[in-house]
Amino acid sequence: MNNIPTSEFAVRRPPAVSVKTPRNPAQAGNGNQLMADSFSVYYGPFEAVKKVSCAFPVGEVTALIGPSGCGKSTFLRAINRMNDLIPSCHVKGLLYFGGKRIYGPKLDVTVLRRRIGMVFQKPNPFPKSIYDNVAYGPRLHASCSRRDLDERVETSLRKAALWDEVKDRLQANALGLSGGQQQRLCLARALAVNPEVLLMDEPTSALDPKATAAIEDLIDALRGAYTIIIVTHNMQQAARVSDLTAFLYEGSLIEVGATSQLFTNPKEKRTEDYITGRFG
Amino acid sequence: MVDMGNRNHAPADDLILSARANFRRKAGAWLGQGILFAITSVAALAVLFIFYFIARDSIPFFASRGFAEFFTDTAWYPSREPGHFGALPIFVGSGLVTLGAVFLAVPLGVAAAVCLSDVLPFSVRQVVKPIIEILAAIPSVAYGFFALVVFAPLLQDAGNKVLMTAWWILAGPTLLLLVMVLGDLSTTWVKNEKHVRAARITATLLIGCVAAYVLVAGARFMGAITIITGTNALNVSVILGIMALPTVVSVSEDALQAAGRELREGSYALGATRAETLCRTILPAASSGILAAAMLGIMRALGETMVVWMASGNAAQIPEPFFNYLMPIRTLTATIAGDMGEADHVTGSDRYHVLFAMGLCLLAFSFICNLIAEWFVARQRRKLGGE
Amino acid sequence: MMRLQTRKLLDRAFAGVGVFAIVLMALALIAILLPIFQRGAGAYVFRATVEHRRQMLDLFERGDEDVLVKEMQKALEARQPVLEALASYRADQSERLNEAIGAADRLAQRDDLLGRRIARAVEQLRHTADLRQQIDRLSRIEQLMRPQSTPDMTDDLDLIRDITSELEVQAAQYGELTERLRQLLGPLPGDEPRILPRFRYGQARWDRALIKQSQLLYIEEWDYSDASAMGRRVLSPRRDLFADTALYPLFEHIENDLEAMLRPRWTFYGRFLTDHSVDAHFFGGIGPEALGTFYLTLGAMLFAVPLGIIAAIYFAEYAKPGRTVSFLRSCVSTLAGVPSIVFGLFGLAFFIYTIRVSPGKSVLAGSLTLGLLILPTVIRAAEEAILAVPREYKEAALALGAGRWRTVLTVILPAALPGILTGTVISMGRAAGETAPIIFTAAVSVGVALQPTEVFTQATPALSWNIYNLATEHEAVDEIRHVQYGMVTTLVGIVLLLNIAAIWMRARISRKLRG
Repeated sequence: MNNIPTSEFAVRRPPAVSVKTPRNPAQAGNGNQLMADSFSVYYGPFEAVKKVSCAFPVGEVTALIGPSGCGKSTFLRAINRMNDLIPSCHVKGLLYFGGKRIYGPKLDVTVLRRRIGMVFQKPNPFPKSIYDNVAYGPRLHASCSRRDLDERVETSLRKAALWDEVKDRLQANALGLSGGQQQRLCLARALAVNPEVLLMDEPTSALDPKATAAIEDLIDALRGAYTIIIVTHNMQQAARVSDLTAFLYEGSLIEVGATSQLFTNPKEKRTEDYITGRFG
Repeated sequence: MVDMGNRNHAPADDLILSARANFRRKAGAWLGQGILFAITSVAALAVLFIFYFIARDSIPFFASRGFAEFFTDTAWYPSREPGHFGALPIFVGSGLVTLGAVFLAVPLGVAAAVCLSDVLPFSVRQVVKPIIEILAAIPSVAYGFFALVVFAPLLQDAGNKVLMTAWWILAGPTLLLLVMVLGDLSTTWVKNEKHVRAARITATLLIGCVAAYVLVAGARFMGAITIITGTNALNVSVILGIMALPTVVSVSEDALQAAGRELREGSYALGATRAETLCRTILPAASSGILAAAMLGIMRALGETMVVWMASGNAAQIPEPFFNYLMPIRTLTATIAGDMGEADHVTGSDRYHVLFAMGLCLLAFSFICNLIAEWFVARQRRKLGGE
Repeated sequence: MMRLQTRKLLDRAFAGVGVFAIVLMALALIAILLPIFQRGAGAYVFRATVEHRRQMLDLFERGDEDVLVKEMQKALEARQPVLEALASYRADQSERLNEAIGAADRLAQRDDLLGRRIARAVEQLRHTADLRQQIDRLSRIEQLMRPQSTPDMTDDLDLIRDITSELEVQAAQYGELTERLRQLLGPLPGDEPRILPRFRYGQARWDRALIKQSQLLYIEEWDYSDASAMGRRVLSPRRDLFADTALYPLFEHIENDLEAMLRPRWTFYGRFLTDHSVDAHFFGGIGPEALGTFYLTLGAMLFAVPLGIIAAIYFAEYAKPGRTVSFLRSCVSTLAGVPSIVFGLFGLAFFIYTIRVSPGKSVLAGSLTLGLLILPTVIRAAEEAILAVPREYKEAALALGAGRWRTVLTVILPAALPGILTGTVISMGRAAGETAPIIFTAAVSVGVALQPTEVFTQATPALSWNIYNLATEHEAVDEIRHVQYGMVTTLVGIVLLLNIAAIWMRARISRKLRG
């Protein structure tokens, strides 16, 4: 457990954030805050994310919206350094997690990724059994006993509301599940390593409406326990599940605010245009 | 439902590594990758080793005998005292069988590849592919055994019948097609609708008579050839052609596939038939890949040992005339395989080193072929990549 | 411009050429595999004669001795008429010979130097047992006497000359006949025992026995009277030579009762694969060769597979595009194009003469050479399989905090394993079938099965090499065709099984990926 309070960080380096204060900083003391300070991501010479500055309040659900190619997925993947895989990709500016620079030289990427979990657009369970999928993360990070592991798998599956459906066939191949079940399994897999932050990259775009509703219900249930950042194409979804919404356009952060405010009373003209469907 | 206390199970790890841990991790990664790179290099650099050791053992030969005798002389008497190492007939032999194999494998292979990629339905393709794979998998010594024990006696006893059958099968349909196309082309100048039909029939009949004469004369010629022995260049060429087919088919099929659907659709949309689309659009677009396939086919035929050793007759002579495929010949590979047994006992002599000189020639040639093939493949990729 | 009809015709013809090429390929495959498998099966399943069962008992101690003794009894009974015919023919011959000896005795009656010399020679002749030698001596006596003969001797001398020349011809014919008979039925009574097993038994296989039978019954000659054409084979019945002799009925026996003499029975000789060969493959199986191929293939895989997979991991996961990596890649593709015989030369020059992995040819040297040969194939197959693993798996593992190595070991390799296995199995077939690389590094023509500990120092026979060797260099190539075919069938069978397994595995993978 990281005990560095956010206030200490604020003293050391006050970031220029566009949201002045998290909505309820007091309640969010349990986790570590995620902050971007004029953070840019480049693909070669192309600047995909331009000088984004914002903070993601702990324990709340933040939605990233914007038209295709606006850099929201790139930004999301930059948070747990998944972009390291792309050779031409590099970053400028600062990104903090719990006061530590995510792109700092001594940061342990594996620990970072354990603490910032991710759920992908397409359900991507490993071609292993359901049990092995969920146990994959815990096995990596700690040598726990068989009993602990069983318990961890069960808890995670219960959190993902999948336990009742799969408890009789834990050893079955995960690829045999339906798309919605697979995505919930991926969620359970991410939860099994006890992350503080969950990144979701359009988690429902490959699913049917019923499975989408199930995932949305889950996000709702996880609110408060995890800081959740969700990229979505679907503005209704953003409105339904998120506390905060950030609008990105051509790599720049145009506006960020409480979801109810942003959807009903946007401050920026471009936000309004996008929300009312004039482009995008 | 969400159990907050569960988070306490998380190991107490810190995001920031200590300087020592950081160094250890970096060093570990560097070391691991270094080992990986080293092992890969060993695997890859083996080919340089091969070059070095073959060259090293062939230098003594060139040092003591020079180049002229080896490349231009026709007398190959390695076991005489003093030996004579004129390898020209052996080079000619290798060239002959390789050429023969390529003439067989490339047209057939490209035709088969076209058929696989554009003509046959998916289900048939699923059956044909394993046939090609099995053809490629049969060990060369089995091909050699077949050539020696089945095909050579057949050629020797009923060679004329074999040649005649091949002539009928190949020349018959070709000539028939030629007659019909020429009959059509030769009457395009007739504009009058009424006369066109009559003119076409006349032209077709006339040309048909010529073709029939050619066909019969060809068959007579095939029937009159005397075949002294079944272990000859023709036998080997046919078998090597069959062995090179799978390579040619699969590489040129890849090239044809890579040409893309857009190109095909563009051509079909202009009203071209499938043959016209393929001949005028796809084959030119895939030409580099097909040339690469031909080079790989050449390499396969040139480097093959067992078939030529068993079924080529192993006579170190230039056929009379030089394109006479019915004479026994001898190739580089077979010479190496056959002579090493004797030369091995006198390590150090010219007789031993001359075989390495031949190996070096083979190696150099296949290296050049490989370079050319790679260059063709790269060009194909560039061309279709649109750069 | 061509008419539409002609264009369509050309279109059809174009497709036809392609189909023709494919049909031709399929036909070539059938034409090659059919005779090989058909005749190769004959090495395992054939009509074995009683001689085969005798060998099995003598050489491998298989079978029931009592049963065999009874069966042999019956066979010998059936052979009795043949032996009797031979005996009575020999008796007739000695009778004729005695006539000549009688004439010589008469000549010896002369009371002079010549007579005494003849008497001495006749005395010697009586001590000679062999008919051929007796004839020889007689004709020498005759030739010796002829210049010094007086007119009263002419009749006797003429008689001796006639009889000896007649007997000489007959003895030659008889000798050839008995030789054929020995090949068919084994040693005849009274023969001296021979060491090589091939002379101790008759034909073990009914198909070979039928060939030997026809060689016995008919004399093969070549007719070259037509100078412009090739020689023509002419068969004439051998029995015509023996008309009106005691041997004449023998041919009828051989023609009609051969089955009773050899008692052929359909037999499955499964141990052909594991038995050692007896007397240069005249009898027995191909055990040492099969084992040698197994050792060589296994060794090559042990060397090439780990190396190939590591190199593939490097190329697919670690290598950053650059000059070094593209150079390494060209090296691998050049290695793939090196002729197999050059690998053999390299193996000899490097593994044996330079780093001396073994004092001479050995399984180890051969395995290393073969391993090098299949290395590019393994690398390519493994790299393709690794690249075919969906990127999502890798991302998921990384997102869970797995390190790079962990990701490769726990997610990528398991997912790529079936693909890697497929490539491995195919290259295994290649290693098993290659001949040229092992000629100078591992293969010997005749050898015994190696113990696993001997592979580091000893050369071994191997299927691929021995197919070549038996088909071209064996002293009796035609006599052991069934062994050659059996070897080819075994080798091709192994390779095809491996490839079919690979094809099947790949089909399963693609089915799985498609869901």
